[in-house]
Amino acid sequence: MFLFILKRLAQIVPVILGVTLVVFLIMQMVPGDSAVILAGEGASKETVEELRENLGLNKPLHEQYLSYIGNVFQGDFGNSLKNNQPVLDEILIRLPITMELAFFSILITIVLGLIAGIISAIRPYSFSDIGVMVVALLGISLPSFWLGLLLMYVFSIKLQWLPVAGWDSAAHIILPAITLGAGGAAIVARMTRSSMLEVVGQDYVRTARAKGLKEHVIIYKHALRNALIPVITVVGLQFGSLLGGTVLVESVFAINGIGRMIVDAIRTRDIPMVQGGVLIASLVFVFVNLLVDIMYRVFNKRIDLN
Amino acid sequence: MKNEIVLEVKNLKTHFISKKGIAKAVDGIDFVLRRGETLGIVGESGCGKSMTSLSILRLIPSPPGKIVDGEILLNGKDLVKMSNEELRKIRGNQISMIFQEPMTSLNPVIPVGEQIAEALRLHQGLSKRQAWDKSVEMIGLVGIPSPEKRAKQEPFQLSGGMRQRIMIAMALACTPEVLIADEPTTALDVTIQAQILEIMKDLQKKIGMGIIFITHDLGVVAEMCDQVGVMYAGQIVEHQNSATLFKNPLHPYTQGLIGSLPKLYEDQEELQIIEGTVPSPYDYPDGCRFAERCPFAQKMCIEKQPELIQYDEDMKVRCWKYTNQWQEESSSREMVTQ
Repeated sequence: MFLFILKRLAQIVPVILGVTLVVFLIMQMVPGDSAVILAGEGASKETVEELRENLGLNKPLHEQYLSYIGNVFQGDFGNSLKNNQPVLDEILIRLPITMELAFFSILITIVLGLIAGIISAIRPYSFSDIGVMVVALLGISLPSFWLGLLLMYVFSIKLQWLPVAGWDSAAHIILPAITLGAGGAAIVARMTRSSMLEVVGQDYVRTARAKGLKEHVIIYKHALRNALIPVITVVGLQFGSLLGGTVLVESVFAINGIGRMIVDAIRTRDIPMVQGGVLIASLVFVFVNLLVDIMYRVFNKRIDLN
Repeated sequence: MKNEIVLEVKNLKTHFISKKGIAKAVDGIDFVLRRGETLGIVGESGCGKSMTSLSILRLIPSPPGKIVDGEILLNGKDLVKMSNEELRKIRGNQISMIFQEPMTSLNPVIPVGEQIAEALRLHQGLSKRQAWDKSVEMIGLVGIPSPEKRAKQEPFQLSGGMRQRIMIAMALACTPEVLIADEPTTALDVTIQAQILEIMKDLQKKIGMGIIFITHDLGVVAEMCDQVGVMYAGQIVEHQNSATLFKNPLHPYTQGLIGSLPKLYEDQEELQIIEGTVPSPYDYPDGCRFAERCPFAQKMCIEKQPELIQYDEDMKVRCWKYTNQWQEESSSREMVTQ
């Protein structure tokens, strides 16, 4: 187990190299010149050139990349092109906000998804099953920016139950978390349903029934534990798209998280900022996947992690 | 005590109702099981043995399966009419089951000791600690070495034979009155088979439960059973003491089965077979269900189904050959030929 975790942590190095390289190259290919944008409209050619010189943007690409990556491994993510503040400081302010949003979203994904999936699986093809699955299909189909706006319109503007946007109180978390978690919840619900239906037909469930166990013990202890194994994998994968989703949801709800930071940075061609943001998001994803693999092993001791 | 009837099954009919029609998997079964006795139910695949055993604890998949008629009396109480809650208290407590597939019948993610202990906590009200200790004791009792260690392991860490022992330990933990063993040794190799049968007989002596032993292996029947019911196409066609069954099989089907066994002291070029196949449970013939494959079949066999008649004390058979009508018909046949 220890060896496994160590191995996985070592894999972070190539991940950092890959992610930064890809982001760096994409940012170079995107039309628009950081120096021109930073200097502002109507700036003289000399100002732009001076800015370019100062920021090291006129050096060859490989030199720029190598000096950046060297600094990253020393914990220096560079300074923002916009305000010359260290990127890492900016990230550390915003990361907790995004993590909080991600945590509550994944919580909604898991709790809502499992409950819906179990309700469906207990009475397959009943009205409750069909109802839940129709809602789940909607959850998968609705784009999150649209769902976010819809929720905002109904609960904040019409009913005035919840704040429209921002990130000041617990009430502010509810709508963005639902928006971000809904799609995942729908996928988890469908996965749980099919997984449960498969498990309920297994011989060991019949054994549990022959033992005279109560129905809820059969469902939650004997069936669900086995049914969860594939669901854990899905939750892990969902976390990836959830991180991507923060970009949209933070923009819709005006939340100052990493996602919105990346969007703003792309708009101003603030390369160090974009790279820092994407890098942090990738690291979080790598850690979550490690956690998923460990969970997988906890639920299913047959899996040999090494 | 010993000859007291624990379980009595009367005219049990379990049918599967689907779009294809009605499959009469179990079609009017009767038997009694006495304390300390082993009743074998033999027959080929698809004859309804397993469905009979699952019907007793109402474990048939429903829908499409349904017990449409009959009574299953445990100490005089009808299990068919019981509420689910009442029946739940009997399952695993007064009646337990061992299944055919030890590889898949245990929960793969729960330690085997816990799988035994949970029934003890439920039915006997033992504390967590007591149930665990008893569970370890049971694992030792079925002959698994270092039971403390094994109890904490999960099924994938155990061999097939050990898993079946665990199933036995689980089934017997609450000292049931009836044990239903549905082909408990079919999936195991022969030496392990012998050990498992030995353990079952041993524990039967200690606990004194009645065993219903479902199998298609006549050798195992001879080894294990006091009484034998031979099943064919959802019905019992013959019921005898196992001691007399092998010497004096009455029903042509039983004769065919026993005749098809390889003989140790004879030089056989080919094994005997029973020609033909079992009729589909969706569409049984009006007459005797074995008539199509029976070397003795007459017109009456195809026209009308025979009843299960008492041939002798402890001997029942469902065949026209042993009826008065047969005698009359054959004498009239003889007269015609003369």
